[in-house]
Amino acid sequence: MKHILGKILENIELTEKHFLLTVKVKAKIPDVVPGQFVMVMIDDKKVFLRRPFTLYKVGEDTISIMYKVRGFGTNLLSRMKKGREISLLGPLGRGFALRNRDLYVIVAGGIGIAGVNLLIERMKGRFQIFYGTSSSKGLALIRNLISHDPIIATMDGSFGYKGDIISCLSQHIHYFSGVDFEILACGPKDMYVSLKNVLVTYRVPCQVLWEEKMGCGMGLCFGCAVKTENAEHPMKRVCLEGPVFDLWDLSL
Amino acid sequence: MGSIAIEIFGKKLRNPVMNASGTLGYGREIERLWSIKVLGAFVTKGLSILPCQGNPQPRIFDLGCGMLNSIGLQNIGIKRYLEEYTEFFLERKTPVVVNIFGFTEEEYIECALAIGDNPVVLAIEVNLSCPNVKTGGILFGKKPETVFRIIRGVKSATNFPVIAKLSQEVTDIVELAKAAFEAGADGLTLINTIPGVVLEENRVIRGGLSGPFLKSIALKAVYDCSKAVPIPIIGVGGIMNTEDVISFLRAGAKAVQIGTATFVYPNTIPKIVKELKKRRSFD
Repeated sequence: MKHILGKILENIELTEKHFLLTVKVKAKIPDVVPGQFVMVMIDDKKVFLRRPFTLYKVGEDTISIMYKVRGFGTNLLSRMKKGREISLLGPLGRGFALRNRDLYVIVAGGIGIAGVNLLIERMKGRFQIFYGTSSSKGLALIRNLISHDPIIATMDGSFGYKGDIISCLSQHIHYFSGVDFEILACGPKDMYVSLKNVLVTYRVPCQVLWEEKMGCGMGLCFGCAVKTENAEHPMKRVCLEGPVFDLWDLSL
Repeated sequence: MGSIAIEIFGKKLRNPVMNASGTLGYGREIERLWSIKVLGAFVTKGLSILPCQGNPQPRIFDLGCGMLNSIGLQNIGIKRYLEEYTEFFLERKTPVVVNIFGFTEEEYIECALAIGDNPVVLAIEVNLSCPNVKTGGILFGKKPETVFRIIRGVKSATNFPVIAKLSQEVTDIVELAKAAFEAGADGLTLINTIPGVVLEENRVIRGGLSGPFLKSIALKAVYDCSKAVPIPIIGVGGIMNTEDVISFLRAGAKAVQIGTATFVYPNTIPKIVKELKKRRSFD
């Protein structure tokens, strides 16, 4: 983890309220594990704390994050223009752990794709992407991934499977029976609840990237702690022991 | 560079800068950026006799001018903490201020007893902003009588210096300072976060306010109490930079604690210590 100073190269809207921010960095970028995040300083009097974002893409001297405008912090971030100086802190947290499975099934819901993009870029073996979004407009977030033949679900049925991505996954999951596979997921909390229900019978191995509001991102304030099934350590800090957790450890 | 060592509770500290309780994790976390040896003393997270899971999410709110936290005093319990961390602080030769809290008067005393004669401890800081379950949740720190009883109880259970950490949310903080002093307190930490509320769509979240806007309120408490009681005061609230530290020292504080600033600017403490060393005096 270190201070990373840079300048905004671009901050573009991909589709309604979804942005891709790319920062050109001056110093050497530390090694990054997919799933790790940075704390971003939003330079505005209305914002006090930094905001956490998963690393979307890491180049030789560039760092990108993809984000959705949700509150006043991300709203102000979306207005930061090209050329502005920006301070990042990272990489932080524990990313995805790969264990040489025969197949990885990557499940992303909406802006959750931002959490698994770097993972997909670095995948070496076999993998299958499942991507769920509200409508075909959401395809703007996965233009770079089309060559990987993702299975797509839209809530309104405007593209691919009609319905949520976990129902879609449950209809495909029998194809993977007998294969040593693991699920790597990023999406909203209700998606993880459905995922757990689908996987519970076979207790399929599954890692999920958990999002929580954070104060510091470094394990100092305990603002992001969540309850787990671990009797000895019932509370875990998302910023330190996460953000990637074993789905079966979380109390959902 | 001049020495910025201070003497407090009969011990010499490298410098007058500590972290505020609950703002530097358990101690190890920040060492990815700087060594806790930088601190004059390390202040632990609030510790209780039983482990405490704290509040459900959400716990953090950005208010622009500062923040509101609703952590709910999550901690692993004082016994386990001292077992796991005593060696860590010994290795770093960093004195520790153990911050304790309880939901009954007895629990405060049990915490003091659990500390025993632990070799890394500099003092016990008593967090009085905790609800008393026996009185329906009225904070111990609200009334001079309960402040007196808790401090006297803790004093009777330990040989370590006892610091009362007081809240500003009272009619007159000077009255509480006097009660703590009369009960035998060896020092005061002023002030704790100030209670506030955030209104979400369908619920009300109570928590503690912190951040730069606290400074002026904390300075007043330090100034007024330093005139009223003859024990050292540790000033805390809204410190963002070296100038703020100097203000607290001028207002009558012997040492300072830095909290929320670290969340946003994690190098605040080492930066301030370095800048203090460059000065010849604290004036």
